[in-house]
Amino acid sequence: MANITKKVSWSSRADESGATGEGTPLLNGSEQPRHSRQDSLRGRPKEIPHNEKLLSLKFESLDYDNIENQLFLEEERRMSYMGFRCLEISRWVVCGLIGFLTGLIACFIDIVVEELAGIKYQVVKQNIEKFTEAGGLSISLILWAVFNSAFVMVGAIIVAYFEPIAAGSGIPQIKCYLNGIKIPRVVRLKTLVVKVCGVICSVVGGLAVGKEGPMIHSGAVVAAGVSQGRSTSLKRDFKIFEYFRRDTEKRDFVSAGAAAGVSAAFGAPVGGVLFSLEEGASFWNQMLTWRIFFASMISTFTLNFFLSIYHNKPGDLSSPGLINFGRFESDSVAYNLYEIPLFIAMGAIGGILGALFNVLNYWLTIFRIRYVHRPCLQVMEAMLVAAVTATVSFTMIYFSNDCQPLGPEHNEEYPLQLFCADGEYNSMATAFFNTPERSVRSLFHNQPGSYNPLTLGLFTLTYFFLACWTYGLAVSAGVFIPSLLIGAAWGRLFGILLASITSNATIWADPGKYALIGAAAQLGGIVRMTLSLTVIMVEATGNVTYGLPIMLVLMTAKIVGDYFVEGLYDIHIKLQSVPFLHWEAPATSHWLTAREVMSSPVTCLNRIEKVGTIVDVLSNTSTNHNGFPVVVQVAGSDEPAKLCGLILRSQLIVLLKHKVFVELARSRLNQRKLQLKDFRDAYPRFPPIQSIHVSQDERECMMDLTEFMNPTPYTVPQETSLPRVFKLFRALGLRHLVVVDDQNRVIGLVTRKDLARYHLGKHGLEELQLAHT
Amino acid sequence: MSLHKHSCLLVLAVFNIYPAVFGDGVNLAVSDPADKPRQTSSLSPAVVVNPPPDPLFSLNLLSSLPEDPEISDYCSELLHIFGQLYVDYVTCLVPAARPVKVCQNCYSSFGSLKNIYTNISSDQEGPGNVSCRDSLLRSDRLMLVYLMYSNLVGIWSKSACDNCITEGGQSLTNDTLFFLTTHNQTLTCFEKYKEGNHSQLCTNCKSPYKDLNELYSGMEKNQTLCIDIEDAMNMTRRLWSKYYNCSFPREETVPVIAVSSFMLFLPIIFYLSSFLHSEQKKRKLIHPKRAKSYASLMNIQDKLS
Repeated sequence: MANITKKVSWSSRADESGATGEGTPLLNGSEQPRHSRQDSLRGRPKEIPHNEKLLSLKFESLDYDNIENQLFLEEERRMSYMGFRCLEISRWVVCGLIGFLTGLIACFIDIVVEELAGIKYQVVKQNIEKFTEAGGLSISLILWAVFNSAFVMVGAIIVAYFEPIAAGSGIPQIKCYLNGIKIPRVVRLKTLVVKVCGVICSVVGGLAVGKEGPMIHSGAVVAAGVSQGRSTSLKRDFKIFEYFRRDTEKRDFVSAGAAAGVSAAFGAPVGGVLFSLEEGASFWNQMLTWRIFFASMISTFTLNFFLSIYHNKPGDLSSPGLINFGRFESDSVAYNLYEIPLFIAMGAIGGILGALFNVLNYWLTIFRIRYVHRPCLQVMEAMLVAAVTATVSFTMIYFSNDCQPLGPEHNEEYPLQLFCADGEYNSMATAFFNTPERSVRSLFHNQPGSYNPLTLGLFTLTYFFLACWTYGLAVSAGVFIPSLLIGAAWGRLFGILLASITSNATIWADPGKYALIGAAAQLGGIVRMTLSLTVIMVEATGNVTYGLPIMLVLMTAKIVGDYFVEGLYDIHIKLQSVPFLHWEAPATSHWLTAREVMSSPVTCLNRIEKVGTIVDVLSNTSTNHNGFPVVVQVAGSDEPAKLCGLILRSQLIVLLKHKVFVELARSRLNQRKLQLKDFRDAYPRFPPIQSIHVSQDERECMMDLTEFMNPTPYTVPQETSLPRVFKLFRALGLRHLVVVDDQNRVIGLVTRKDLARYHLGKHGLEELQLAHT
Repeated sequence: MSLHKHSCLLVLAVFNIYPAVFGDGVNLAVSDPADKPRQTSSLSPAVVVNPPPDPLFSLNLLSSLPEDPEISDYCSELLHIFGQLYVDYVTCLVPAARPVKVCQNCYSSFGSLKNIYTNISSDQEGPGNVSCRDSLLRSDRLMLVYLMYSNLVGIWSKSACDNCITEGGQSLTNDTLFFLTTHNQTLTCFEKYKEGNHSQLCTNCKSPYKDLNELYSGMEKNQTLCIDIEDAMNMTRRLWSKYYNCSFPREETVPVIAVSSFMLFLPIIFYLSSFLHSEQKKRKLIHPKRAKSYASLMNIQDKLS
């Protein structure tokens, strides 16, 4: 044990642990130095700077395990056949609603961004035109920067001051939620409002961000809200869907919501389903898949329908997602067998660039967590990034000599002429002076020759650093579109160079095609998603024949990238100190047994327990336990207590609140029996123990837990290996796993944090520290 | 010039056909075009290209179809006129290709061609209850008349000439005429100052050029542009910016660089100051309760070593 702990990077202050501790050989008397270290620590809690090798106490597990107590059995018995049918139907209704509302939100975001960005670019464009002639372009530059900063300031303020959890793309948070971790406040209505407003502000503010990632989070919040039939924030209870008020049901709907979000963002219903499958795959069944698919379809259809009304073409269902890659159907974008190696090479480039992006962002995020943690600093940082983005874009446009004639179809939404000849526009401006979605589309579809290589190279370089700098700010924004944009730029560059070095390449090396492959490679290199990303890309291009190259590219990008560093989302999950359980236990952990892994000693409760004891246990702030094994003492014998059930903190609190005491039950025979409904009404925000008043008399009462505890908790013997425990945990979505000896006596308790702290580092198995964050 | 005259005459001819086509008197329609095309062809004999006769081919045709039962005299007459007008329109188009003047010069010949085609394709029955639409347009796989006409219609719609022609096809719209006048003024100005220093041209012709440019953007917004106007504007713009070099010069480099380097400097200050002044966030470590047993510890070490 000491051996493992030593491998974890401690802070530089090794002196605290004492020279003896470090210097003593481990084999003889290894217990001694450990004691000395712990003693010195106990006196003063050790403080270290934030790093990735921590687990936060803030995060708890969700209760995915069904509590089969007597109340549950009773309710099941009471429910008729029709009742179950109705339940099934209402599941479908909820999924339909989720899809519909998610689509509406996507539509709202899209329309508002388009309108506001339109106004902004019009004003700046007019200003630039005015000053190109009259002189004073630096004023236009300042105007642009001020515009950007103002929008971003609004976005950053609402995020930093009102709901910090709404920062970023939200995909890491939803990934954690589906993994079974309760991230505080992640699926609240307030989060949704802040997220939607924040993403509008940051996209209109011209940051290098997209609005697609936040859609996934929004969809998940919608799902969590709709399925509960009430809003705790608004204090409205519609008295519907009460059966769904528990973590298990809610999780299913949240995965449907995430799928609906993906589907609305990319117009990729199947991709959405696969995204949920990839991220939350341990809890899955056939009917659920079908329902989730239904939600995704409804979502993309809703978006489609309302956007068609907005574009004055009601009934024309041809804009399925927020990002529309346009059609890849002409002959020039067909690919040939000999291009496959080229695509794979591009995948490798994407992997390397993605890894570079992730490493840079990792260091930046560490710096931000350590030093830029005050909300006012976060707002300032976001504003600075916005201003610098505008400045860099302006400078690039100003010094660009790449002029292209205006196309007949006017693909360019806001063409800037600047110093170009009349009737021509600055081609750097199509990339920078535009919303990122449009830039991606013009990189995919503009005629060969509408960008010259120098423009593309400079654009890739600057946008790469801008995007890397932007991700992780306190604004809600996604990383999908910037990645696609970087990739599309260097992909197009690749295509152009290819065409110039080979003689007859103009026939097959269509730059648009290479832009698409580059975009896939870059995105794959950054986020490292596999199956779902392939399907999303294929669906977004609307061309199934691209399936093979995109899959190969994403595979290569993942393999190459994983050699250096993990995916961006995983890095951020780690930096948040979330106890995330991966698919498998660390590879070299079979020698660890449950005895070493578990927490011990365990706070147990008797089956008939004194109220005072329970209140004391619950109020103990230093041990914020959540589940308590219930033991029974065989009356009159000296045998140690044996395990007979498990009870949760939330249940105890509800019991205390309703004063379900043995003595009171005797005196008031006609008292209403507690039902499962009472537990559901308190869900998900159970009141803290401090808010429950227990008088001195009541402290002496007794509480009978038999009816309420889970009588058959999962247990393992203490010799069980870590991977076995891990599998149970991951597959069943457990929260507590009791470790018993051969006499069925409780000797320990395994929770998520006990398992998540082991991970495979560079030097073998490492152990993470628990910390307050 | 001869072309102009020719087109004028064509217009005359068309006006003569006009009542015949749209009038309800069917008899007139048959008799009248019978001599009119002869007129037109006699006026422009050079345009009519007779295909070299292939004796064998014509013989074959004749032998197999001694008398086409489907084609009435009326229809063949119409076909003949169509041929004449088609040739006229194409003859007009080719010289107007560069600089593009297809709308200004050829709108009238297109109008007459369109009329005759409408006449052919209408399902109104001519004398003897024959509709030429079926016999001329749909009798064979090639559908030559239709194919040729649709080619020209393609040219017409691609050049967007409808935007510059009045509703009935009689004349150019006032907007177009006004634009052409302004354009001519600008060109005159260019002509006047093109000797010597171009900077003088840039200053002196700025106002007509600017007017022209504004007029053009206005028309662009109203979507009243046709290819003639677009091309004229393009050429003028190219003259102005490329040939005479009157674009805006890039002369404010210094203030732009100054402002942007100031902006770029801000984040550096921000990060430095937050690194120096903001206290570093520390995490309090917690020691979890663990089972302590010498046995298990020894086990681990055995397994590790």
